[in-house]
Amino acid sequence: MRRGLMLRDESELPKAVLAQRIETARSAMRRDGLDGIILYTNLVQPSAVTYLTGFTPYWSDGLLLVTRTGAPVFATALSKRVAGWISSTNPLSEIINSPKPGGAIGARLAADGCKRVAVLELDRLPGGLYDEIIDAAPGLELTDGSALFASLRQKIDGAERGMIARADAIALSALAQVDPDIAKDAGAAAGLVEKEARLQGAEEAYIAVAADLAADARMIRMSAPRPLADLFALRASIAYKGSWVRRTRTFAKNPMRRAAVVRADTWFEHLASSISPGQSLEAQIARCVEELPGARVMSWMAESPIGSYPLQSIAASGRADHSNFGEGGFLVLSLQLKLDAMPWLGAAPVFVGS
Amino acid sequence: MAEAGLDAVLVYGNAWQNDYLRYATDFGILEGQALAFILRNGEVTLYLDSPLEVDRAEVDCRDIEVIHAPDLVAEVDTALERFRNQRIGAAPHRLIPRRIAARRNELQLSDQTALLDRLLMGKLDAEVDAIRRAAQLADSGYAVFRQAARPGRADYELIAEIEAFYRASGVDDNFQIIGVGGPEVRGMAPPSGKRLKHGDMVTTELTPCVEGYYAQICRTLVVGDPNADQIKAFALYREAMEAGIATVRAGITAADIARAENEVFRRHGLGDYVTDQYTRVRGHGVGLFADSKPHILEDVTTRIDSCMTLIVHPNTYHPVVGYMVLGDVVVATPQGCEVLTETPRELFSV
Repeated sequence: MRRGLMLRDESELPKAVLAQRIETARSAMRRDGLDGIILYTNLVQPSAVTYLTGFTPYWSDGLLLVTRTGAPVFATALSKRVAGWISSTNPLSEIINSPKPGGAIGARLAADGCKRVAVLELDRLPGGLYDEIIDAAPGLELTDGSALFASLRQKIDGAERGMIARADAIALSALAQVDPDIAKDAGAAAGLVEKEARLQGAEEAYIAVAADLAADARMIRMSAPRPLADLFALRASIAYKGSWVRRTRTFAKNPMRRAAVVRADTWFEHLASSISPGQSLEAQIARCVEELPGARVMSWMAESPIGSYPLQSIAASGRADHSNFGEGGFLVLSLQLKLDAMPWLGAAPVFVGS
Repeated sequence: MAEAGLDAVLVYGNAWQNDYLRYATDFGILEGQALAFILRNGEVTLYLDSPLEVDRAEVDCRDIEVIHAPDLVAEVDTALERFRNQRIGAAPHRLIPRRIAARRNELQLSDQTALLDRLLMGKLDAEVDAIRRAAQLADSGYAVFRQAARPGRADYELIAEIEAFYRASGVDDNFQIIGVGGPEVRGMAPPSGKRLKHGDMVTTELTPCVEGYYAQICRTLVVGDPNADQIKAFALYREAMEAGIATVRAGITAADIARAENEVFRRHGLGDYVTDQYTRVRGHGVGLFADSKPHILEDVTTRIDSCMTLIVHPNTYHPVVGYMVLGDVVVATPQGCEVLTETPRELFSV
């Protein structure tokens, strides 16, 4: 539930950008014959509402309704006393504070005569909110709006790219605090990385550690003393004003292994900066790994903010279901290699194409 | 479950509302969502949609079955077929995904939120011990906060100090909001980049989590020396909190505690400031959720039992000095209560 800096800055996320995103959503609604779209938000599913409004909840939950005209309506169970704070990060929406946000949205839909409305991730919508909407708007047809919303997220705009770049800079700087010659304890290293990230303005920082990478490559949330082995890895999942990245770095105390880590890091940066649109990601990774002698890809995963999750797994080794990305798309690529029998982990943001 | 005639319970959890899931699985989820089945024979199956969380659950929860379910709702919906003709409870009702909730009649899926709430409110000795340890970390966290607070620092920098301290101290999670300023401040929120300046009141509630259990502390400090109005206002909040704490004992209701706190404000002519226009609750339960039931309000008639853990906090807006907070965690006993937080009840000055 922890949260750091939560602030909207007009120079980073102008109202005009939010208005353009809402207009694009409206175009898609008109194309699909919809009267509106409803998007749910809470601490772990904030991204769709953040994308359209700038707002991320630190507590409780809410629903955003975008209809064909007028200001979007944001209904939340957060108390009326924080309406001012909500408005400061959600400048374009009408704010409704209600213990029954679903009822408030349903009443608005009924009053506006809306007949057919999409809901992002309809199956996952909390059942209590669904019941409230239907009770207040009994004749309403609700359809799944996930594909519609995902179509809006195929390409990121300049404002989002800037905030992702800032999140990435924070992640890199935070991970740079770890000196493998000095770091001995996983919990202390995680604390060091998190502190640096938050001091630089991270909204959130989730740090995970594989304390003995040679023995177990699984990344564990670490906040207790545990010795760091010769080879270890840290993952920093960092949010900056609603935009999330992951960066994973492998660290070696042994100089020979360190040289191998540097080789893999350099190769991975090259891979991450050269992902081309319209081609299978799996094939691109397979082609690129041939340039790294002694390396074998053990697993990979691509995540992207195509729905309510900040980063949603959309393709992975053995499950390459959405592995063609378009020009201007954004994803986080996580990769596990074996490099001459040494495990290596990396993760980095990828801007597809130019 | 046996008493309620249930064959299985389905619980939902995410990083915001994780208490029902944690109670059943002991898993502290961070990303994505989870559903878990608890069978009457003790078997537990945890479904997670985040592959990153699956890695962690396999390490943290070795005694339960962990399943990676990228399409969480569809996979649990299919798994429910196994329970046809059995009685299934679900909690928390409001957050059960729509696709599953829509089958409640067909699957005999009953709302068992109240049953789980009763289990969550009544604490075992081991649970109280975890909250006791969390309360100690709330105290030491507030000491770090005071140390970090100085003119010129931004509010989020204070949070950074706290979170780093907690990560290095075995605290996986913390809920914290903050207020910085004077009479214009009407509540607390996440940090917004305000820099501390001389004369500011800095309010915070810190809620560290130990082994899944949260404890909370609320305190107010002043940057520089407090003025006469701030000192006078603080005395009122202290009187109200102590009146509330003095009321806590097994057998009373949550309303009794709220009334004791609010009467102090009413006696001082500030009755308007204990309404929902200015404040949310006069305290609440603590446990596997930072803001558990019962809420301490004059219309909440939940009975307080021994071993229930609560924070008593008369936090509200004061018309002269602004939003002020003060709160301590207590555990109810037959005779009264034990206060678990030990930070002095002072208006601190830094």
